[in-house]
Amino acid sequence: MGRIVLDAVSKSFGATEVIRDVHLDVASGELVVMVGPSGCGKSTLLRLVAGLESVTRGRIHIDGRDVTALEPVDRRLAMVFQSYALYPHMTVRGNMAFALETARASRAEIEARVAQAARALALEPLLDRRPAQLSGGQRQRVAIGRAIVRDPVAFLFDEPLSNLDAALRVQTRHEIARLHRQLGRTMIYVTHDQVEAMTLADRIVVLDAGRVRQADTPEALYDRPADLFVARFIGSPRMNVLPARAVEGGLSLLGGPPVPARAGQATQAGIRPEHLALVAPGAGALGGTVTDVEFLGADATVFVTPPQGPEIAVRVPGRAAVRPGEPVGLAVDPDRLHLFDAQGRALR
Amino acid sequence: MTPRARENRWLVAPAVAFLLLMLGFPTVLNVIYSLSDVSFETLRSPRLDGLGNYGEVLSDGAFWASLSFSLRFGALTAVAEVLLGLFLAVFLAPLLRRHPWLLAVLTLPMMIAPAMMGLMYRLMLHEFVGPLPHYLFLWFGSSPAFLSPAWAFWTIAAIEVLQWTPFTLLLFHLAYASIPGEVREAARMDGARAFRLFRRIELPMLLPTVLVALLIRLIDGIRVFDNIWVLVGAGAGGSTTSLPIYIYTAFFRGGPLGPALAASVLFALAAFATLALALRLAGRRAP
Amino acid sequence: MTALRWIVLGLAALLMNLPVIATLATSLKPPAEIMGNPGLWVESPTLANYATVVTVSDRLDVWAYLGNSAAAATLGAALPLLLCLPLAFVAARRGYGRRLLLPLVVNLRALPLIIFAIPIYLMYQSAGLLDTRVGLGLVLAVVNLPLTALILLNAIADIPRELDEAAAMDGARTGRMIWRILVPALRPALATSFVFGFITAWNEFLFGLMLTTREAVPMTVGASFFFAGAGGGVQWGVAAAVIVVAMLPPVLLGLLMYRQIGQAMVAGAVKG
Repeated sequence: MGRIVLDAVSKSFGATEVIRDVHLDVASGELVVMVGPSGCGKSTLLRLVAGLESVTRGRIHIDGRDVTALEPVDRRLAMVFQSYALYPHMTVRGNMAFALETARASRAEIEARVAQAARALALEPLLDRRPAQLSGGQRQRVAIGRAIVRDPVAFLFDEPLSNLDAALRVQTRHEIARLHRQLGRTMIYVTHDQVEAMTLADRIVVLDAGRVRQADTPEALYDRPADLFVARFIGSPRMNVLPARAVEGGLSLLGGPPVPARAGQATQAGIRPEHLALVAPGAGALGGTVTDVEFLGADATVFVTPPQGPEIAVRVPGRAAVRPGEPVGLAVDPDRLHLFDAQGRALR
Repeated sequence: MTPRARENRWLVAPAVAFLLLMLGFPTVLNVIYSLSDVSFETLRSPRLDGLGNYGEVLSDGAFWASLSFSLRFGALTAVAEVLLGLFLAVFLAPLLRRHPWLLAVLTLPMMIAPAMMGLMYRLMLHEFVGPLPHYLFLWFGSSPAFLSPAWAFWTIAAIEVLQWTPFTLLLFHLAYASIPGEVREAARMDGARAFRLFRRIELPMLLPTVLVALLIRLIDGIRVFDNIWVLVGAGAGGSTTSLPIYIYTAFFRGGPLGPALAASVLFALAAFATLALALRLAGRRAP
Repeated sequence: MTALRWIVLGLAALLMNLPVIATLATSLKPPAEIMGNPGLWVESPTLANYATVVTVSDRLDVWAYLGNSAAAATLGAALPLLLCLPLAFVAARRGYGRRLLLPLVVNLRALPLIIFAIPIYLMYQSAGLLDTRVGLGLVLAVVNLPLTALILLNAIADIPRELDEAAAMDGARTGRMIWRILVPALRPALATSFVFGFITAWNEFLFGLMLTTREAVPMTVGASFFFAGAGGGVQWGVAAAVIVVAMLPPVLLGLLMYRQIGQAMVAGAVKG
């Protein structure tokens, strides 16, 4: 239950195409996170699945049934909105009961389901309060509770954490993960924050300008990004991307000594900050002057600017033994090099 | 006193002085004259008379008739304007959203002086010159005597409603448009379609605005003067004498001014009472 | 469904604006046609009525009425700005007057102002302000105080406090800060208050009726003279033209600034 398939889905608003030919197969019980920069169409895609917008082309199937023409309620989906969208004039209980009342469920069933959801989310003491009397985090839980009560085949989340402060965000993230484990239902989750995506998702769908760049597990996206966009989007600090040239002996980065690698068509190479190491000046495949050191506690990020080329970030465990202004060399782990062609596609 | 406190006093001084002059002093005059035997000739030397004027006013049937008129008129027009305005705002919402300039046409009547509106209706309802009786005769063979004692109340009520429905329409339009889109979408996800959405979600959210509109139009309806005066003056058999008209005619009738002023004071007290009551009700509604 | 909405819209607009249409039509009819054709379609349109209106006669002088209205309305719209700006400032920024003075001013809206008309009449009679533009203008200013105060209060509250503080850091004292920093930022609100106050003042009738007799008669009262019918009955064509002229300024202002004025009207409602 809860298998959602998007088949060649496109959406245009007037002359502007915002979703281009998206194919997606969400397995039953999977937590899929759609992530991408703002304007990439992730919220629009979610709303297409929900039925709040209609597709321009393509079809949407839920559990084998073609729901493309169906209203949201007939798709048996529930959505948690970014602004929570609670009914301000109703109590928490009223908010959670509304959908079932609309469906003409029996009073007994409504009360049972509301009580159950309230228990799962620790909302029992709040049942008779109005949204205006609740904190942001509490409102968010009510929004989730409203969705749970409906017993949908899948949950849709539209940037649910973006209105919360940092501490609450982490806590609520854990709650959503726990909820997913507990309920075992399909969840489609939209966010612009790649940390949320990496930590929550069974699979991540990276969107850019209405197109799916890559849809895979967090590990696969991290280890084997399909193109430059995904490579730079996932991972913090960002992957370092440097011009590369095939030379005798391997691949030359920024014109430096060759790194043993099969160059092929590569014109750019990427290496993550944690796969670089600080060595004596001149000893590594790259080098330059330290421009900044950011001490983060458990590790540090050292920014090195080579004589020609962009600033390179290096992650160093513990304290950094260097200071700004010092010359330093960088050793590159050749097994961790990502190669890209001139169009930004990854080469294997 | 701190320099800032001194500065504050200076800043509000002009407004306070103006209010004392234009409202404070007149209020004092109102009270004094209402308790005196005074006429236009004896303005400078009123003779304090106790509550005699009040007794005269309270025992005047015309006073109670005008009070009753004002209350009935105010309540009727307020309810009509709210119902019509609400209906139009909700029903026409898609059109108004796409073509905001339509509001200019719909709110035009509000920009016109009520007195001018009254004069225009005098033209429009005139038995010989007016288009309305003309067309009614043409289509139905007869037309009511709009300003006769039997019809005048309803005619004037209709005039008031037609002029001020744009106000409630505007009020509800803005309130309706400010309902967050996501709340409507959440209701849609919950399966609430048009009518249920309106009844269970949108209307309750509009309720505070409905109450405000009712209160404002009730107050405005109670103190209506201009359009009635230019249409029928104090006439129509007194069937359309509002409280302000009563006060006005009492004042310019000649003779003792006391009763007119007493009626004024009573009117002011009644207005205060209504406002205080309404604010208490509003306060109780907000949890 | 959309077609039905358009029909309802058309009917509502027509019904509510019918008197305007009828008056406009009548004003374009020659005297001969008025009695014979009461319908809305003008058979032989003419501007003769307007010509009569703008010609000054010894009995009825439209230009004088217009001038009186303009002068009194300007005073009635501008004075509240001067009085309410400092009041709104101290209320919004310093909470001064929020408990008593401000609610008093704002709730004046609920009072039937006729209760002040009589004593003001008597005051003016003693002070020689009866039948003067200034006298009328002062009363119109009172009428406009509540809404002006409210608009300015909200407008100032919308301006971030940091602006005041930046000016203070730059050494500006209160008066200079209000005049050089706040007032420019308040231009739209000041304009809206003035226009709305002007329209309200122009449309006032009762005070014009009570407080003027000959010299300072405003347009609303003057227009009603044309309907008096003394000495030969009402000349409907001319009377209609007079009304059109009388409502032209507020209607034009209203059509131009309908958005701001609409918001001003409902702001008064919601906050009150």
